[in-house]
Amino acid sequence: MSTSNCKEALAQIVDGEHVCDNPEVIAAYASDNSFDPPKKPLAVVRPTDSSQVQALVAWAYKTKTPLVPVSSGPPHFLGDTVPAAEGAVIVDLSRMNKIIMIDRRNRVVIIEPGVTYNMVQPALAREGLRLSMPLMPRATKSVLGSVLEREPITNPRYAWSLTEPLRCLEAVLGDGSRLRTGEMAGASISTSAGQVMDYAPLEEVLEKRRKIQETVLYQYGPGQFNYYKLVSAAQGTMGIVTWASLRCEVLPEVEKFFLVPAPKIAPLIDFAYRLLRLRFHDALFIVNGARLAFMLGENRDQITRYQQELPPWVLILGVAGRGLLPRDKVSFLEKDIKDIAQHCGIDLKSNIGSVHGDHINDLVLKPSPDPYWKLRSKGGCQDIFFLSTLNRASEFISTMVSEATAHGYTASDIGMYIQPTHLGTSCHMEFNLPFHPAAEHEVQTVKELYQSASYALSGQGAFFSRPYGMWSSIAFGRNPMHTDVLRKIKALFDPHYILNPGKLCFQDTP
Amino acid sequence: MGLEDFKAMVHRCSRCSYCKWIPFAHVKSWRFAKGCPSIEYHSFQSYSASGRLCISLALLEERISCFDEGLPDIVFKCMLDGCCDVACKVCRYDLEPLEVMRNLRFRLIDNGCFPIQDIPLIDNLRKEDNMMMARKADRANWAAGLSLKDLTTEKADVVLHVGCRLSFDEELWRIPQTAVTLLLDAGVDVGILGRDENCCGGRLYDMGYRGEFLKYAENNIDAWRNAGATTVVTTCSDCYHAFKRLYPEELHAPMNVLHITEFLEQLIAKGKIAFKKSLPLKITYHDPCHLGRRGEPYIPWEGRQKKIRGQILVYEPRKPRNNGACGVYDAPRNVLRSIPGIQLFEMERNREFAWCCGAGAGVRERYPEFSFWTAGERIEEAYATGAEALVSACPHCERNFLDALDQRGDSLKVFDVLDLVREAR
Amino acid sequence: MPLEREVYKELESVVGPEHITEEPATLFSYAYQWMAELVPDVSGGGKFFDRPEAVLVPGGVEEVQAIVRLCNRYGLKFHVYSTGWGPWAAPPSGGQILLDLRRMNRILEIDEQNMFAVVEPYVVAAQLQAEAMKRGLNVHISGAGAGTSVLANACCFQGGGPDCIYFDSPQNSILSIEWVMPTGDILRTGSLGSGLGWFCAEGPGPSTQGIIRGALGGSGGWGVVTKIAIRLVHWPGPPVMPIEGTVPAYRTKLPADQFRATFPAFPSWQSFADAIYHIYDSEIGYIAHRQYVMWGDELQAAFLKIVSDPDRQLCDLEELLHMPEIQKLTDEMRRCFQLILVGMTPRDLEYQLKVLDRILEQTGGWNVALVNEPAMQQYVLLYMMRLCFKNLNFTATGGFIDTYNSVASPDIWASGEIEAGKKLLKKYAGRIADAGDQAMGPIAGQGGGGVTGWEDFLFYDPHDPDSVQAAIEVSDEGDRLKAQQGRPPGGMLLGLARTTHTEEKVRAQKLVHAREYQWQRKLKQIFDPNGIGSGNYLWAAEPSTNGEST
Repeated sequence: MSTSNCKEALAQIVDGEHVCDNPEVIAAYASDNSFDPPKKPLAVVRPTDSSQVQALVAWAYKTKTPLVPVSSGPPHFLGDTVPAAEGAVIVDLSRMNKIIMIDRRNRVVIIEPGVTYNMVQPALAREGLRLSMPLMPRATKSVLGSVLEREPITNPRYAWSLTEPLRCLEAVLGDGSRLRTGEMAGASISTSAGQVMDYAPLEEVLEKRRKIQETVLYQYGPGQFNYYKLVSAAQGTMGIVTWASLRCEVLPEVEKFFLVPAPKIAPLIDFAYRLLRLRFHDALFIVNGARLAFMLGENRDQITRYQQELPPWVLILGVAGRGLLPRDKVSFLEKDIKDIAQHCGIDLKSNIGSVHGDHINDLVLKPSPDPYWKLRSKGGCQDIFFLSTLNRASEFISTMVSEATAHGYTASDIGMYIQPTHLGTSCHMEFNLPFHPAAEHEVQTVKELYQSASYALSGQGAFFSRPYGMWSSIAFGRNPMHTDVLRKIKALFDPHYILNPGKLCFQDTP
Repeated sequence: MGLEDFKAMVHRCSRCSYCKWIPFAHVKSWRFAKGCPSIEYHSFQSYSASGRLCISLALLEERISCFDEGLPDIVFKCMLDGCCDVACKVCRYDLEPLEVMRNLRFRLIDNGCFPIQDIPLIDNLRKEDNMMMARKADRANWAAGLSLKDLTTEKADVVLHVGCRLSFDEELWRIPQTAVTLLLDAGVDVGILGRDENCCGGRLYDMGYRGEFLKYAENNIDAWRNAGATTVVTTCSDCYHAFKRLYPEELHAPMNVLHITEFLEQLIAKGKIAFKKSLPLKITYHDPCHLGRRGEPYIPWEGRQKKIRGQILVYEPRKPRNNGACGVYDAPRNVLRSIPGIQLFEMERNREFAWCCGAGAGVRERYPEFSFWTAGERIEEAYATGAEALVSACPHCERNFLDALDQRGDSLKVFDVLDLVREAR
Repeated sequence: MPLEREVYKELESVVGPEHITEEPATLFSYAYQWMAELVPDVSGGGKFFDRPEAVLVPGGVEEVQAIVRLCNRYGLKFHVYSTGWGPWAAPPSGGQILLDLRRMNRILEIDEQNMFAVVEPYVVAAQLQAEAMKRGLNVHISGAGAGTSVLANACCFQGGGPDCIYFDSPQNSILSIEWVMPTGDILRTGSLGSGLGWFCAEGPGPSTQGIIRGALGGSGGWGVVTKIAIRLVHWPGPPVMPIEGTVPAYRTKLPADQFRATFPAFPSWQSFADAIYHIYDSEIGYIAHRQYVMWGDELQAAFLKIVSDPDRQLCDLEELLHMPEIQKLTDEMRRCFQLILVGMTPRDLEYQLKVLDRILEQTGGWNVALVNEPAMQQYVLLYMMRLCFKNLNFTATGGFIDTYNSVASPDIWASGEIEAGKKLLKKYAGRIADAGDQAMGPIAGQGGGGVTGWEDFLFYDPHDPDSVQAAIEVSDEGDRLKAQQGRPPGGMLLGLARTTHTEEKVRAQKLVHAREYQWQRKLKQIFDPNGIGSGNYLWAAEPSTNGEST
């Protein structure tokens, strides 16, 4: 299809001004900060609502045009929004940024994919709520993008599953049809005279449900399958989510942060396990000095100073009081946690050197200010992240350090982040490798290190549960049956492979 | 009552599977959570109490026939140990699974559908009045040399009934012999019926031979009456169950019946038995089914089931419950605890939810492999307590444990409560 | 129709002759189920659903796989169960074989540090809880109680229960799964499939767990889940739950500074609902359920006295109901629920109790004093902690179903639906038990709260055809009333019993409007191409152009 034909067709669906083939814009979507190969899309389209998305997909289904859904703004790091197929149209969902409903009593919010944390958190705070967040997402990060891609949240107590806080959603499937999930599935179907009808408008459905005390929190189903699981970590390949409900936290009335420094990680792991057992924490994660410095430092110099000042490892612990008697809660937690810390032979601190609680407060509870923290150190950053269990963290750290040393990368420059998740049954491990994008040799080193370490870590037991870029071949290669099943599911929900083709294990059209 | 009378009850079984486990409150481990040897060994649902309730209904509705080839196997491969009955009644006040299973057996036997293994056993019983394939003439050999009253010619307050197993199992003769010594030393006016002692019939009853049981029960009651006895003491838990529960239930013949451990408990309490030696031994006690949960006293009841509040089922007047609450559990334990040096460790499954030894209701005779497997499970549980010896109060349990241990090549010691009492005196 | 001899022989060669049977008596024992009498078009009003053609008791995943492959080869349908309680456990229709998984009964691993256990299908909750407690851990127990399969509740059926407020719904507790697909292939999900252990539920990429279960699991009609890892939670109590009391009134004495059973009660349904929101927001509670009202708000106090006293019987009910102190208690308990507070430390319990006091203060509620009596406190702690008395559901009449259920936000308690349910049951009182409001259910169906609801119990006598008929009528009338208000149907159990035992063609027509079930049909076509899974996997027929199902 020619660009002009494409543009013309798209303009029938979305206002012309929101269809774009400007070379600069095209270039912005053609590559990102990852090592994935660049590819120019044909056009960029910015729909404004669910029906436009549905029409776009229907058109793409008919014309077999690849679509790449993008909900977050730049900078991108994972390659998932860079087209893998020729002639793709970027579906930029940033204009779909409505907060559709906030229900304080039931602690739930419904948002569209273009909503960022910076948009939703203040709105929620006014109602006495907030959303669990990943650690310092970039300001342009789509909330739904983060949740759907199963990014870990900093409070493992609220990670009831790896998809939390995701509840119900609506997705446009690869054939242009819509599917609503959880308790919004059957409830919102409008049928008459034996004909299967389309879904009723969301607002109408919500209003009707409010009257019968029903909400949007029950995520399971429809029926005997969970589509929301199939669309998670799918990089837009299983459907385009047009809205979703998310379960919120009650905004704490009292919240304190503690820092637990340690020269070695082992006692922090032990301490973390004890807190996870008792659920005495809010935010709970471990970072090395470098990672903390990356997040705290506003520029290269500050980062360097922090790196020098900070201890090798820091466990960050949030303690919060909510609902009735929040102060009593925090008071008893502090006493008990101090007892536990003493038992572990570690100290709870409210500051380490110049780093104090307020810094941590911002760091844990707000998105990153611009420029994004990953870029502040050297301008580029390649991450390696995977899932494992907390007790194995040291093994992976050793491997990463050995790999860095072998590749001539300064190991002390590696940011390390260990995030317990799913109520402590697993943990997200992340290594950040900053580099100067302009320094060709450095780029090459990091690229080789990234590849080599990924293989080494995988061999050691790292589970690339969100397999971006080169990890897809590692991850899917280890489980051929899962891969086969996923391809069949993909063929069902996206029969022409138009949704972000080429990602994950979906290279070949069936 | 016949099987038909249980139809309503069977309709009300919820097939919850409680009957396959010990009461869930008491589950302490994965290993020893099961309560029903029959389904554990045979796997299919039909080998559980609820399965047999379903089968009873299928039979009553003529969906299956007594003459179906595989039916006897399903019905009789069960010790009727009653753990199912206890577990069921943790929640249910209106079901009697053990009663239904017994009546299912009666139905089959009445129709001539018995396991072929029974033929020599029943033949011998009819000729020799015992279940041990032994000669009636040898019944009193165990008592040779003891100066005991012969109650066929004399009278005594107490009749000691030792039962078929102890009469003919020479290795276990020490048990009744000890009982006699203890009773005589304590000045009890006691005698035996000697070679005229009859089988109690309890095992026959459980095997489904209700008619045969009645014959023996009547004979025994007559003999005791003739001997002027006011109390029957028995060293066998099977016999205890027969006398304590079945005789009054089937023949309306109440007797003062005591198991030897109950009698000993009284004698020790009165200071009539004293211990001179310490026995430094770690033991565990196995509750015999017929002394424990099935050894509850029979309380006559006549009444009806009625509905209140629309459909709630109640009995009028109040019907005694047999749910294992009133079995004999403490008497043997109290005797054991009174012996110096003894350390008693409880198995996970004890008292009303004890695992069966595997010998009951004809299973040892009919299906020895299943019987020994069941005993083996109990032996494993005994080992798990760290005990050096497995102690019980029933010769059938003890014999089954001894044989199973022998088959396994194991060396766990097996004692009767009386053995330890004797040793410590 | 009996199996072809060739097929039987091949199946026998997989499991061995001792683990396959066609013995009619045994087959009937698998056809008998609770509620069969409520689906008379299948059972004729009796206790038997269709019997299987043969029953197999496989010993492991390899045998299951071999059986499923043979079923595919011969076009033979199979149905599978673990602990097998409920109408959905019986084969949905004739001509099927049944796989009884009771030999697959091991706890393969308990990872104390990472808080999960790996189990096979026939591990029941009581077993896993007992083993977990030895390691300071505890496991979610489904509302069906301690005697039901941990795996089946998590993966294959519904699985919610009284402890979801702290433990979460079982769906979220599943980590990796081993699943013999209807094709006979084995799918291992999450980290397990990559050979990396059991810790992770999802991925790589989209979670294939999504096709194994949804709101409801495959209910024995969708392959065979042979192993799962299940998430555990902390248990601050003793390694072995100490049991006291005489059968059946067992009790447990747990440390009073960390365990407390409470019965918060309220003057109105609005205050009841408000209290739930406070509980959610303040994050207190280990178990929260409106449990004992299953006997009816008019009878619960008397029933509780009966079941917690070994000397009491059901025939004492009338006498108790006439006692002034029971009448007072009945009024006190009318709008109450059971809240078990567990302090991870003594300070934690102290805090939670203080919060509860504040909630009661703000809502005008009270803690029913009965629960503070030591024996009752111990009885309730055991009941709720182990759910070892769940068959008390059947105590009154031998049969129960739910009729006028609600699942919604806590405001549902103040919506008038409780009174509507009570009114409905009253209308049929006599033909069913006359007990009052029987709205039993979880205060929170999800971790941290969010969704609550109830099952409106109805006690009927399965032996009494008129009572059985009344149960059907109430359930149907309840569904009609719900529909008039635009609410989902209320009678879950009868609905499921009917749906799973209706001919596939009829079922397909019934579900024609539920478009989501059409996606299920497509999933079925892909992953069960030979259609050998039993009809418990519910799918809708493809609508034709004129709106009729095909």
